[in-house]
Order: sequence, then structure tokens, then C-alpha cells
Amino acid sequence: MLEVKNLVTSFGSVVALDGVSFTAQESKITTVIGANGAGKSTLLRTISGLEHATSGSITWSGKSVIGMRAEDIVRGGIAHVPEGHAVISELSVEENISMGSLFRRRKFKADVTAAQDEVFELFPRLKERRKQLAGTLSGGERQMLAISRALVSRPKLLLLDEPSLGLAPLVVEQIIDSINILCRTTGLTVLLVEQNANTALGVADHGVLLSLGKVVADRPAAELRADANLRAAYLGY
Amino acid sequence: MDTFLAALFSGTSRGAIYALVALGLVIVWRGAGILNYAQMGQAMFSTYIASTMITNGNSYWLAFVVAIVVGAVMGVLLDILVMRPLSNKKKTELLSSESMRAAIPVIASLGILGVLQALAGIIWAAEERGFPAPYAQEGFTVAGNVMPFTSFDVFVITVVLTTLALTTLFFKKTGVGLAMRATALNSEVARLSGIRTNFTRSLSWAFSGAASSLAGLLITPTSNLSPNTLDLVLIIGFTAAVVGGLDSPAGAVIGGFLVGMVISFVSFYGSPEDVFLAILAVLLLVLIIRPRGILGAKDARRV
Repeated sequence: MLEVKNLVTSFGSVVALDGVSFTAQESKITTVIGANGAGKSTLLRTISGLEHATSGSITWSGKSVIGMRAEDIVRGGIAHVPEGHAVISELSVEENISMGSLFRRRKFKADVTAAQDEVFELFPRLKERRKQLAGTLSGGERQMLAISRALVSRPKLLLLDEPSLGLAPLVVEQIIDSINILCRTTGLTVLLVEQNANTALGVADHGVLLSLGKVVADRPAAELRADANLRAAYLGY
Repeated sequence: MDTFLAALFSGTSRGAIYALVALGLVIVWRGAGILNYAQMGQAMFSTYIASTMITNGNSYWLAFVVAIVVGAVMGVLLDILVMRPLSNKKKTELLSSESMRAAIPVIASLGILGVLQALAGIIWAAEERGFPAPYAQEGFTVAGNVMPFTSFDVFVITVVLTTLALTTLFFKKTGVGLAMRATALNSEVARLSGIRTNFTRSLSWAFSGAASSLAGLLITPTSNLSPNTLDLVLIIGFTAAVVGGLDSPAGAVIGGFLVGMVISFVSFYGSPEDVFLAILAVLLLVLIIRPRGILGAKDARRV
């Protein structure tokens, strides 16, 4: 279980997260929705160690991750796919994927290969393009690659930041479906940040609505989806 | 024809050394975003250590290896003791502007160059001294003619090409090489992949230190050794790196050989005094026609 309590993250005098508390249940998809600037990305970046929390606590399976380096948090089983199809365009598809499992290559040699085969099975298009530079991929393929890179680190918790950003609806559906299957079949815990609330709430078990750095709703996804007032007030549709 | 061959051979062996210097600069630039002006100061220092060892009766090869190791260690120390603390201070008031943040490590590296040169002057005296070559520096004799190509040139070219080949293999085929490339290209994604970027960055400094020390060992037999002799080599290496594209290791190598050829042909057909002018002309020409260098990425920062 991921437990976030009274989390505050600020940049100078700008408070991006203003006392955020919520929990994400294991083997479930929890989505964090909210308008632009609500603090969604900052939340993920603080959990993965890219930003430092000003105060508050973050624990995963009972262990605090506050103060840990991003590279050690990944090694502890929390993988983050940041916003904007974060792959390295100058490296090949294969290199981008094996990058994610470099730290496991000595201890778990066989499993590293197995993990690679699994992501190729999940996204066959990447297998076809394994020798190509990541920069030559389409937006959707790049997002698949970024997710694959995270998956080969064998995470227990996957942090996904706006996987739908800039992608065609059909591709979004495909990616969201893959995440859903992964969660249901392997027991992966997912924390999904989305601006596209409808899509996110459609697949998630639980929803957290952020506004200006504060949690304004924390409920089962279906309930949140049905609440017309909240939608109108915070999501604008 | 003889002059042409002589220029070609000399250009190849000189160019090989400049390629090494440029590669050292490019690897730290890519890995840490710093132009390391102290690089040839480190090389000068480790070459002096080799020189002292040889004077004290140690074998050339032992001194050779020690100098390269010292170069690598100096690179790591520079990173850990100077550059890393400087970049960790990013968020202080002084370093709040982007341009200051970029300038401060460069100024620090210039300071270190000064310190190393002064130290070398104090320890070894500031006068020029010779540095031995492991192989003869007399030209080969073919059919009674002395060719403008020496056994030492063959040694230089072999060592440099082997180093370049091994470096390429290391970066392309090993996990650590991939981690170093990833760190250089996008350190945030690298960290999120579990790569310890502080470590890989230090490795870049070690590699650069070792490569430039090797360059120092290979160039001083023909240029002599003093605290300042390698200043010009740094400028030439820097030109080579910019010509090739500052963010491209392959470009650095091409730039090195290209600049080596230009220098060699100018000094054989013109006069050695024109060499400096020729280097600047090449630099200007590249900056005007193709500011990103031969193999540089499109959005590379201009320097």
C-alpha cells in the first residue's frame, strides 16, 4: 500500500502540494485527476524522488521513501514514467528497454531477459522496431517504450504521468488497456495521473481529485465519475 | 610528392592525438555539461609524474601506465571535490541564473588549470624538459630515402586507434557504457531507470582524465614538457571538438584528424607560424557554416 500523508512540496514560495493525503491500495489502479497545475505531476515526482518533499510522509509497503534518491527508489520497486513520453531518442528501442533493467542484470540475469520478452509480448510493435532509434518512433510507440522501460525494472508500483498526452484516442485506449491487463494479471499497483479524467476513471478502482495542491475528493472511481457537480466544478465537462 | 606524404603522415599521427584530446573534452561535456579547461593541466601533471619516474630509473611502460591511472584518478577527484559540490549548490541565490550556473564550473576548471600549472612549476621547476619516446623518432629508410614516418608515429597511431576502438566497444556493448550514454543524454530518465548518475558521471571524468593523460604522453616527446606546453594542445583539441560537434564522440575523432591534417599541411606548405591562424580560420569557418559541427545534434547548445 502506498500511503501519502500531509505531503507538502514547494518550489521557493510556490506551494505545489499543500498537505496531500491519500492511499493507493495494492494491485489496484488509483487515478489522480485534476486540472492543469493542480500538482499531479509534482505528486508523482515527489514520490519517485525527483523532487524533495518539504514536509509530510510517503511510505510504500510500510517503508518511507522520503529522502531517498530517485535511482534507489526505482531499485526499491517504484517505477515512474514521467510526462511526455520520456525515452532517450538517441538510443535504440532495445537500449531504452535494457536501460531500465541495467541494475538487475547481474543478480537476475535470466529474469532480465524474461522481462524483456514480456514487454515485447505486451507491445509487439516495439519488437519489430527494436533496432530503430527511439526518436524515429510515433508518439504512441514512444509512450509504450517509456512504459516498457519502467516495467523491466520489475516494479511493484507503477507511477504513470499522463500517458494519454498528445495521443490519438485509439492509441490511448490500447495503452490504457495494457495497463489494466497488467494490473489485473500480475498484481501491479498503478498510480495513474491523468488530465483526461473520463478515460482514467473508466479504468481505475479509485480516484483522487486534486485542485491547487489539495485533495478535494477521494472516492471509488465509479462514484467520482458519476458526480456531475464535481465534474462541472473541477474538470469542466 | 615527398612533402605531401610527409604532411599526410605527420597529420595522421598528430591528428590521432588531437582526436584523443577532443574525445576527452566531449565526454565530460556530454556527461557533466562542463567544458573542462583543466583537462590538459591534468595531462601535464601526470606526464611530469611519468617523467620523474623515468628519471628515477623506472621503466617507460610502468611510468606510462601510472600516468594514465593518475590522469583517471585526477578526473574523479576533480568531479567529487570540485564539480559535484558546485552543482549541488544550484539552488542558492548566487547560482539562481542559468548562465551563472553554466559559467561557474568553467571558471572553476580554469582556476584548477592555474593551480596545477603553478604546482608543477613549484615541484618540477618551470623550465622545459624532454620526455622520452618508447620507439625511435628517426624516419624509416626505404630504398635509401628517409621517409617522414617514424616508428614512434606508428606507435602513436596504433595506440590511439586501439583506444578509440575499445572505447567505442565499451560504450556500445557494455551495460556501464549504456548507463554512461544514458546519463549523458538524459540524466532524469537515467535516474528513473535506476542508474546511479553520480557514479557514471565520475566515470566520464575518469575516462576523460585517462584519455588526456595518454595524449600528454604521446605528444610531449615531440613538443617537450613544461607547465604550459599543453596549453596549445588544449586549444587545438577544443577546436577539433567544436569542428566535429561538441556533443558527438565520433565527431571529436573526425575533428581531431581533420584539424591535425590542416595543421600539418599548413606547416609543411606554409610556415609553422601560420598554424595558429589556420586553426582559428577553421574554427571560424565551421562556426559560420555549420555551428553545430560535423556530427553535432541539431539543438546542441552553441558555445
